[in-house]
Amino acid sequence: MTLLLLFNITNGLIVGAFYVLMALGLSLILNLSNVINFAHGGFLVIGGYIAYAISPYVGFWGALLLAPPLTAVIGLVVERVLIRPLYGRDPLYSLLLTFGLAFMIEDLTRFIFGPQGKPFAIPAFLAQPLSNELFFITGYRLFMVAMVFVAIALLFVLLRYTRLGIRIRAGTLDLETVAALGINVRLLRSLNFAVGIFLAGLSGVLAAGQLGLEPTMGTGLLMPSFIAIIVGGIGSLPGTLVGGLLIGVASGVTAVFFPAASEAVIYVLMAVILLTRPRGLFGEEGMMG
Amino acid sequence: MTAALTAEGLHTYYGKSHILQGVSLAVAEGRITALLGRNGAGKTTTLRSLMGLTPARQGKITIFGEDTTRWPTFRIAAQGVGYVPEGRRIFANLSVEENLKVPLERGGPWTIERIFKLFPRLEERKLNRGRQLSGGEQEMLSIARALLINPRLLILDEPSQGLAPLVVREVFRIIQQMKAEGISILLVEQNARMSLEIADDAYVLDDGMIVYSGGAQELAADEARVRSLAGASAEEWTLA
Ligand SMILES: Nc1ncnc2c1ncn2[C@@H]1O[C@H](COP(=O)(O)OP(=O)(O)O)[C@@H](O)[C@H]1O
Ligand SMILES: [Mg+2]
Repeated sequence: MTLLLLFNITNGLIVGAFYVLMALGLSLILNLSNVINFAHGGFLVIGGYIAYAISPYVGFWGALLLAPPLTAVIGLVVERVLIRPLYGRDPLYSLLLTFGLAFMIEDLTRFIFGPQGKPFAIPAFLAQPLSNELFFITGYRLFMVAMVFVAIALLFVLLRYTRLGIRIRAGTLDLETVAALGINVRLLRSLNFAVGIFLAGLSGVLAAGQLGLEPTMGTGLLMPSFIAIIVGGIGSLPGTLVGGLLIGVASGVTAVFFPAASEAVIYVLMAVILLTRPRGLFGEEGMMG
Repeated sequence: MTAALTAEGLHTYYGKSHILQGVSLAVAEGRITALLGRNGAGKTTTLRSLMGLTPARQGKITIFGEDTTRWPTFRIAAQGVGYVPEGRRIFANLSVEENLKVPLERGGPWTIERIFKLFPRLEERKLNRGRQLSGGEQEMLSIARALLINPRLLILDEPSQGLAPLVVREVFRIIQQMKAEGISILLVEQNARMSLEIADDAYVLDDGMIVYSGGAQELAADEARVRSLAGASAEEWTLA
């Protein structure tokens, strides 16, 4: 029983780490550009399939290194061509656009790579369980979680200590004033979008190593990631971090006792938190300090 | 005398309301130009039009010889225009130091170190968040931020608003110091008397139209006019 619980908590943390990675990117884009990016799961798929396509040439490590920035470049083009013209309009426009884009990416992936799942090979030493006792903790799972936390730490450093990051945070508070201080806010939004998509691409590569590839692999992560943002408090990146881990673990633990409710519990948790703290857990605090 | 900025026949709207109705003005290089007028006259709207924040639908704006009429805000600022907005608009969740890292780094004499020499108070509070500052400190931060893009033209929107008289004097002293540094200044104020004391040229705006343009001294000498045109608050403030 304890082992089962531990297994599911571990699972929940790993899934939660993915929610966090996705939700941070969504949050960055939402906060600075007021775009609810429904295509975010699509970019995860793109990241995964780019890794799959290039790994025969560059290997697993090369794919891990190259796929996220390549995904970010695709994100830059999409932002420039499709999303930028919609800034300043009703957020409904960009929501509909990214919603459609999500379907297009899924269909395009199916068209290019076929509807069946694809395996994505990881280095053999990472695939080993750590011990017979804790069979569910493979090296790869630890590696994934470590990568997620490295990405989060780098994001924190970017936002806290670089001028780009400081301007992004300033822009989420008052973009007009950032522009009046001479900052090219179009470029700022593009770069910020690319950072968010980079994180989605990284999620894609990491998820591919654990679950293999499928054109629909992004869909299941999208709703929980939105909920992670809402639970944590819109506008707060630490909130997003806590929110993602929280709902991951909650659904993992629920899987032990009421397997059928493991998905519903996410929504229940959101409802309970919003009833007690309408702005989410970190809503009052605002941006990361 | 060359102009740092000229605006000709600006017409600006918020939706359907026609706010600026043909505003023309010029800011001479190296001088302080005051733009006065009662509450709601259109002073802020004029500055927002000049900065491209609420672009004018008609008219022409020239800044340092470039036609900036259709330029986006960031490009106008990057020309060397420092803007201190109404209500200061500092980034409340960012530390003082972070606030100072937002502006574009245009080359020039102003660096964060030099800013800290001019405003020692900001250095003491550099790790505090913007929202923890007093009104006076926020005003200093807003001015400091605008100076860090190394402006050739500084545009200030009611920098004395809501400040204690002593702090107001400090703000006006800094504006004079900036003039001495060779920065051209466009100063919007409710505080007519004090601004006319430091200004070289003056305009008065009423209902979206310029109703006075000329020397600051001449306007200051005309008690009745200052009182009637610049609004009741002209009464309250004098250089004590
Ligand atoms: N965002 C806005 N939307 C609609 N009307 C506005 C807006 N801002 C200002 N106004 C109106 O425009 C007029 C001029 O305002 P403003 O330029 O702020 O005046 P001032 O700065 O001289 O006090 C006022 O009548 C005000 O009500
Ligand atoms: Mg005003």
